[in-house]
Parts: sequence; C-alpha cells; structure tokens
Amino acid sequence: MRRIAAAVALIGALMLVAAAVAGGAHRSSPTKLTIWVGWSAGHELTSFKALAAEYDKAHPEITLKVVGGVDDNKIVAAIRSGTAPDVVSSFNSYNVGNYCGSGGWIDLTSLLKKDNIDPSIFPPAPRYYTQYGGKRCALPLLADDYGLYYNKAMFKAAGITHPPRTIAELTADAKKLTVRNKDGSIKVAGIDPIIGFYENVPERWITSYGGKWTDAKGHAILGKDPAWAKWATWQKGLVDWYGYKKLIRFQAGLGDEFSASQAFEAGKLAMNLDGEWRVAFIAHEHPSLQYGTAPMAVDNAHPELYGSGYINGTIIGIPRGGKHLDQSWALVKYLTTNNHFLAQFSNLIRNVPTTKASLTSAEIKPDVHFSTFLKIFGNPKSSTSPIMASGVAYTNLVQNFFTKWQAGGVKNLVAGLNKLDSQLDAQVAQAKGGGVP
Amino acid sequence: MSEATAAAAFVRRRPPARVRRRRLVSVVANHCILIAVAIAFLAPFAFITLTALMTNSQALSSNFWPHPFRFQNFVDVFSKAPLWRWTLNTMLYSGLATLGVLVSSVPVAYALARLRWRGRNLAFMVVLVALMLPPQVTVVPLYVMWAKFQPFGFNFIGTLWPVIIPNWFGDAFSIFLLRQFFLTIPEDYIDAARVDGCGEVRILATVVTRLAKPALAAVALFSFLFTFNDFFLPLLYTGTSPHNWVLSIGLSQFRSFHQVQWNLTMAATLLVMAPVIVLFFLAQRAFVEGVTLTGVKG
Amino acid sequence: MSPAPANEAGALAAPASPALTRARARRQADWRRRRLVLLFMSPWIVGFSVFFGYPLVMSAYLSFNHYDLLSPPRWVGLANYRYMFHADPQFWTSVKNTVFWMVGIAVPLQVLFAFGIATMVARVKSGAGFFRTIFYLPALAPPVAATLGFVYILNPATGPVNTLLGHLGISGPLWFQDPHWSKPSLISLGLWGIGNTMVIFLAAVLDVPQHLYESAELDGAGPLQQLRWVTLPTISPVILFAVVLGVIQGLQYFTQAYVAAGVAAGQASQAADVTSVNLGYPLDSTLFYPVLLYEHGFSEFQMGYASALAMLLLAVSFAVTLVIVLNSRKWVHQAVPR
Repeated sequence: MRRIAAAVALIGALMLVAAAVAGGAHRSSPTKLTIWVGWSAGHELTSFKALAAEYDKAHPEITLKVVGGVDDNKIVAAIRSGTAPDVVSSFNSYNVGNYCGSGGWIDLTSLLKKDNIDPSIFPPAPRYYTQYGGKRCALPLLADDYGLYYNKAMFKAAGITHPPRTIAELTADAKKLTVRNKDGSIKVAGIDPIIGFYENVPERWITSYGGKWTDAKGHAILGKDPAWAKWATWQKGLVDWYGYKKLIRFQAGLGDEFSASQAFEAGKLAMNLDGEWRVAFIAHEHPSLQYGTAPMAVDNAHPELYGSGYINGTIIGIPRGGKHLDQSWALVKYLTTNNHFLAQFSNLIRNVPTTKASLTSAEIKPDVHFSTFLKIFGNPKSSTSPIMASGVAYTNLVQNFFTKWQAGGVKNLVAGLNKLDSQLDAQVAQAKGGGVP
Repeated sequence: MSEATAAAAFVRRRPPARVRRRRLVSVVANHCILIAVAIAFLAPFAFITLTALMTNSQALSSNFWPHPFRFQNFVDVFSKAPLWRWTLNTMLYSGLATLGVLVSSVPVAYALARLRWRGRNLAFMVVLVALMLPPQVTVVPLYVMWAKFQPFGFNFIGTLWPVIIPNWFGDAFSIFLLRQFFLTIPEDYIDAARVDGCGEVRILATVVTRLAKPALAAVALFSFLFTFNDFFLPLLYTGTSPHNWVLSIGLSQFRSFHQVQWNLTMAATLLVMAPVIVLFFLAQRAFVEGVTLTGVKG
Repeated sequence: MSPAPANEAGALAAPASPALTRARARRQADWRRRRLVLLFMSPWIVGFSVFFGYPLVMSAYLSFNHYDLLSPPRWVGLANYRYMFHADPQFWTSVKNTVFWMVGIAVPLQVLFAFGIATMVARVKSGAGFFRTIFYLPALAPPVAATLGFVYILNPATGPVNTLLGHLGISGPLWFQDPHWSKPSLISLGLWGIGNTMVIFLAAVLDVPQHLYESAELDGAGPLQQLRWVTLPTISPVILFAVVLGVIQGLQYFTQAYVAAGVAAGQASQAADVTSVNLGYPLDSTLFYPVLLYEHGFSEFQMGYASALAMLLLAVSFAVTLVIVLNSRKWVHQAVPR
C-alpha cells in the first residue's frame, strides 16, 4: 500500500516537472491576444479580421484572436467577472462615462505620454467622447457621422432638383415624395420621422437645430433651450401628417436595418437619415441604386448650420485586469494612430478615419457619396452628445420621452421637457452614487 | 324499498321533449364553442408552420400559403446559427438539473413527510415561502457571489453551472410535490417496515423504488420542462457568452444572427417546440397524471 | 417488553436500573433520529442557506449601497429607496403594470378561462381526450418560441391575423406595436398557454361526485345554480391553487415581456437584438417589475439600486403569500362530507 502511494507521488512529481518544463518551453511561443469588437454584419467583420491578420503576421510574437458582435452588456459582464479580453471596442461612446469613472477601462494617459502621442491628433469630437472626468480611458477607432440619403430616381420623378437644405424644404419634399396605397396606408414614405426607427434618435436630429444638452455645470437644459421644443414640434407635426398609427403599421412591414432589405435600399423610403457606413452597404447589396448623399437639412432660422452633423464613433480601450499590457497597448496604438491602417479600414467599411492625418490621407479611395461624410466630419459645427455618468441610460431617457411625445402622450411639451431635465439630473446623481439631489 | 325503486324508475323515464330539446341545444352549443376555441388554439401552430415553409420575401408579405414549399428552411436554420450547440447546452442543463432535483429533493421531502421531528412544520413553511418568492429577489447577490467565487481561476459567469448547481441542493417545488405524495403513503406500511428493523434509509429506498414512481416521473417531467424553457437565469449568466447559450436564449437572439429572416426564425421556433411536443405524445399519460397530481395534491 | 435495539452502537452500559437504561436508549434513539433528519434534510439546509438565505441578507445590505461590481460597495443609506419612490421615471409604471395588469387582470382572466374551458370539456361525452390534447399542446410550447410566434403572427402590417381581419373588412390593431394593445397581446399569449391549469381544473371538475349534482337537481337547481353551489365549492382548493400559481407567476413575469418587447421593437429599430432602450416597448407598456429590475441591475451599472427594487418585490410577495396562506382556510370549502 505504501509502495503504491510512493509510486503515485513520484509519478505526480514527474508530471509536475514535465508541466513546468512544458510551461517554460511555452513561454517563448506567441502571446495570445484577444480583441472584442462590435462589428458583426457581413463585410464589416471580415474586413476588420483581414486587416487584423496583417498585424498578426507583422508581429510574430503575438497571435491575435478577433471576436465580433460584442455589445456593451457583454463587455460590462466580462469586466465584472474578471473574464475581460485584452482589448475591447464598443460602438457606444455614450458609456465612456461609466468605463472611465469606474476604472473598468484603464486610463491610457500615461501610456500616451510615454509614447509621445498628443491627443490633438484626433479631431475634437472623437477627442471628447473618449475621455471623462479627466481620465482618457479610450481612443477613437473610426467614427460615424450622419447625413441625408436620398433616392435620385424618385427625386427626378417628383421634379425635385436638389436635396433639401432647410427643414421647410425637407418637409415639402417628404410630402411630395410620399406614395399611398388605395386604402390610405403608406406605400413609399418620403421620410420616416418616427423616433426609434433605424437611426432616428433625438441626438441625431437636434444637431440640425443647434440644440444644447447641458449647461456649463452639467445640468440638463432641454426645457430651457428652445431648439428642442422647436424640433419636437416640427417632428410631431410631420408624424401627424402621415398619421402615427399608419407610420407604425408601415414600419412593421419594413426590413431589418442591417439586412439587404433595408427600407431605403429597398426603395420604400425616398429619404433617410443614416450613417456614413450605409455607402458601403449599398455598394455591396444594391450597387445599381441611384442615390445621393448630402448633409441633413437644418432649421430655417440657422442656415449656418448646414453642412454639419452628428458625430459619434467606435471607441477602443484596455479593460482592467488584462494580463498583457504592453502587447495590448501596442495593438491599440496601431489601430488608432497608424494612418495607413485607418485609411485602409475606412476604405473597406466606409467609416470615417479618426486622426486628422488619415482624414486627408491620399490612401482614402475617393467616393462621391462618402466624401459628403468626410466633409460633415470636418465641419467645425458638427457635434456629439454629452458623456454623462449614467452612460447610455441618459440618452435612453431622452429617447423615451420623445417616443411618448410623438405618440401624443405628452400634453404640455415645455413642462414635459422641464420635468425631463430634473429626471436626467436625478439619474446622473444616482449613477454617481449620491441619490436624489 | 319498492317506493324507492318506483321513484328511481320515475326519474329514469324520458324527460319531456322541451327539456330534451333544450339539452340538445346546450350540447351543440357546447361543442360549437369548444371547436371554435380549438381552432383558435391550433391556428398559431398552423401559421408558424406555414411561415416556416416560406421564402423570406413571402414571410415579409401578407401571403398565407407558401409558394413553393421550402423545406430547405429547416436545414438552413442549422447553418445560420449554432442550433446543435444550443441543443447540447440545453440537454446538459436540463439533464443535470433534473437529476440533481430528483436526488436531492427526495430525502428532504421524505423527512418532511414521514419522519417526526420538532420544527418539521416550520421547515415546511420555509419551503413554501421559498416556493412563492420570485427569483428576482435573490438574483443580484447570487450573481455577485458567482462572479467573486473563482476557485483555481475558474469563472462561473458565462457558464451554465450557476444555474445547474443549485438544483443539486433541493428544489422547493419538487420538495413540495414529493412531500404531498409521501403523505399519501399509508403510515402502517412504513411502521411495519420500521418494526421489522429497517433503517430509515432503507425504507426510503424501498418506498422510492416501489411506490413513488409516478410522483418521481412527474417531478422529473416538470423539472425537465422547466429547465428546457428556462430563460431568465440562463440569460443572466450566459447572456453574453454565445457558445453557452441554451435554446431559449439562442432563439430569442436568432434574428440578430447575420440578419436572419422571419421564415427561418419561424422554422427555428418550430424546431425548438418539436422535442417537447414529441415527448408529450410519447408520455401522454405521465404528463396528464403529473399535472393532475400537482393540482389535486397542491 | 421491548427488545434491545439490534443496531445500537457501543456496548451496553452496566444497567443501573431498567428505567435509566430505557431513558438512555430513548435519548440515543432521539440522537440517531436527529442525525438522520439532518442527513435527509442536508441538501435543503445547504441549498437554502447558500442560495436563498445568504442572498436575501446580502440583498438587503446591498440595497443601502451603491454597487456596480467594478468598485467596492459604497454606503448611501436610503438614497436608492428615495430615488426609487421619488425620481425613477419608470418605477411606478412598472409597479402598475405588474400589479394591475399581471396580477389584477391576467390572473383572474386566466383562471376564469381555464375553468370555463374545463367545464365545457367535462360535458363532452366522446372526444374529451381529443379536446384536452388540443388545449394542452400550446402550454408545452417554450415561452420564447411561443412569444416569437405570436409577435410574428400579430405583426400589424403583414401578420396573418391582421390580414384575415382585413379580408373581413376590419382594420386590425397594432398589437405589440401599440401601447394599448401590447398588454392584451401578452394576455392572449398567456391564455394560449393555459393548458396546465385547464387540465387540473378538468380533473377536479370530473372528480365532483355525480350524486351531488343529482341531489341538487332534485332540489330544483338549474345548471347555473349547480355550478355555483356544487361545482365551485367542491373544487375551491383547486381554484385557490390556480390563483396562487397565477399570482406567483405574475410577480415574476419576465420572459414573454422581455422577448416580445425586444422583437417587436427590433422590427424597425437600431439593432435587431434587445437593447436597454427597447425594454418595455412600446412606451413602457410591457415594462413589468422584473423587467425593470433586470434593466437596472444587469443593463446599467446599478446593483445596489436593483437590490432595493428586489427588497420591495420581496416585501410585496411576502405580503401576498401571507394573505393567501392565512385566508386559505376561510376561502377553501373543506371537503364535502360523504
């Protein structure tokens, strides 16, 4: 019995030694880096993977694994449970407030300083939405901006010669381009103004009116800034012209936003507010579509805003608890500051490159549709939404209000907006952990 | 005596035509309503099946009948999404959980039913309370607990283990059911065994294997069904780890997989419904007996 | 003369007196019994403490903290509760939705419907099994699958139901896209799955002794009165059971609301999967309390606040349970003497 025990112990010891040796031998094999990205639809993920493979090849000391289709819930859950990958990237710049504030994504300021990277190489909007509370915990990885897509064939048929520049023109064009069925239901909509539809969210429309979100102290001013009420009144007016229920019914029969039967691509919408990435989707899915791009129409009272738009973008960072800080940082640095990579990736998925140098790079493949968005991105009046401690819940609350409003659930708009302001402030205070102010 | 038989004979005579007609009308009405409701109950199945056989463009239109019938959809479903993986995960979860429930609930139920001890009623009250409280009440600290508990660096979050393991420590509903059942076993039977010198463990084993089969079958069936259909807990723990999804989670996310279409979604829905329905037809009596058991003994 | 127990461990002590021996034997038997009970009850004891008791205590503790799992919990006193009752714009909506709609309407409706169908099936002489199968089948459909099916079928533009209604000249409602119709849509989904309760009612109704009906008829009772005075009292325990089950499920109602909101919203929104802005779609009409709890705890970073929500849910569930348990004897007609 004792002999058997001794034999087992010896074998066990031998195995431990073998494992240690093997482990030691593995130390010279490449470090496995995992990066999570949000891209999932068709060509977007494959494009990133192809470019990432190039980086992988150029760096034999690491092997890179790309996981696509990751959303913020996954990232948060992973950080909480300590299973976060080495590098993460998110579409929701809104949540930077949470990531920086809680330390979920590490502060990159010291790393930037060490490598002599000045944050001013990034344009102002991406610079803004990658930091919070004095900490820069993210860097921008290609940005999105929004403008107007319009169907040239439908415009010609309706006798409209140029894309609308003012809201009044937009309204008139939308009404002219709308086609109804015999029973009164909508067959083709000039534009779908419903908040919550595709990319229609308040922050993307309010830039046309120059609306501000917060005052200098960070308190919400949606009730005080008249732009919001003006926009909301116009929006509901257009919704009521179509008929709210008719619009909902119309929407229920439309294709998914990221499928080949997207409503604009399928000819069900004459105009649509959409992001710059749609150019690549149309090129892939409906190359024969006759369309044009232009900046979104602006408030008649603010013609100087024309040419600007809403900007947000993908952010990338290193989650807390990552084990390979040096290699992760090298990858992040490459993905965010290497102008060659940014230009190539931009060409592939038609997102806006996020360094000033890559914006004007000669490597960007010229495309008449896409150049509109480059111009919007460079327009000094283009803006982004505020980064708040409550993260995406902030913008969700605003969106909820306007979905109620468009359905007729708010009797007094300004009073409702004022109440919304106090709710937003309370929400921020709660997120900071102080409760109701 | 003869009066009673005479009275009985009186009652048995044919009731007048008016009453007979009224009864016939009520029977016919009864049947009509039942048939109408039955059609309404079957209609969703029919619609889902028909949609599952359509092409995508047809599914987005208001056509009722597929033109042509696309059985290919059922095959496509597997290539669009990892249905096999999800099925495997679901079987793992359901199988292990059901086994755990059976193994752990039987002794507890027996102790609550057939052993006499102080505090037995209080313990049963506790079981009842646990039965009635929604899982959301304990969900946050449990999640925190599993997130922080990382033996040898193994992460429970993202796996199905946090959902499976509690089932090995008794399930309130099964305990309740089994206890009610054990209460119906005649006291003398067990007393006789005790007098014969059988230890309680042996008594339990005999009772279980000989008498409790229908109750055990009911518990196993319900446990399996519940875990097969479970959505909330797997969502919590594996919602962000697609390779560990169970069928219910995967199905709810199906439409976001490469922008899949409604016809395939309906095909997948049908495929997920199928095993349970097949199981039902194979084990119909066990099902109905089990359901009745819960209601009558409950 | 009771024989010395054959399986007594340890040697027999020197018998001081027969009474003392018996007392000691009894004590040892007691101790054996307690050990046995402990052994049998051990899974539940461990399970309850670890998976129920401890989390309950922790939940109470966390509800007074601000906790996002990324940094340690920070004590904030009653701040979470103040926010909950005074400032959370969705809190009262979710309470209303859960209490009034799920418990106040869905539960009685479901019990009534199940009972109604059961009594009708009970009156069928031949083919009862056929009907029973048809009514039970939908209850087998997994909730997610059933919800997906219903959202598709009730699509206001292209779904079969509205198309059929259109052929009949009726303009169908917007179902899951309309805040006034989303709850009725969910309730109809619930009624579709009523099979379990119906089967239980059916068995109970069939169990009512025939002679009770006969004596009632002899007393001149019509069918409705028979229902009121014979059927209902006899099956009252089953009615109570169905109500209790319904209330429990109503307080936990999550899956169907969550999936329906996500899918219905995703039909024309930014992303096809469930994002936090879609919870309760449309317009918070499907925002039930457990959905709100999930959103705050696991979509946002607010585990302390979610614990506060959980504490309220605990209080309400406990109160409801207490009411039912204390009154069950009063409401349930005790077994009819034979």
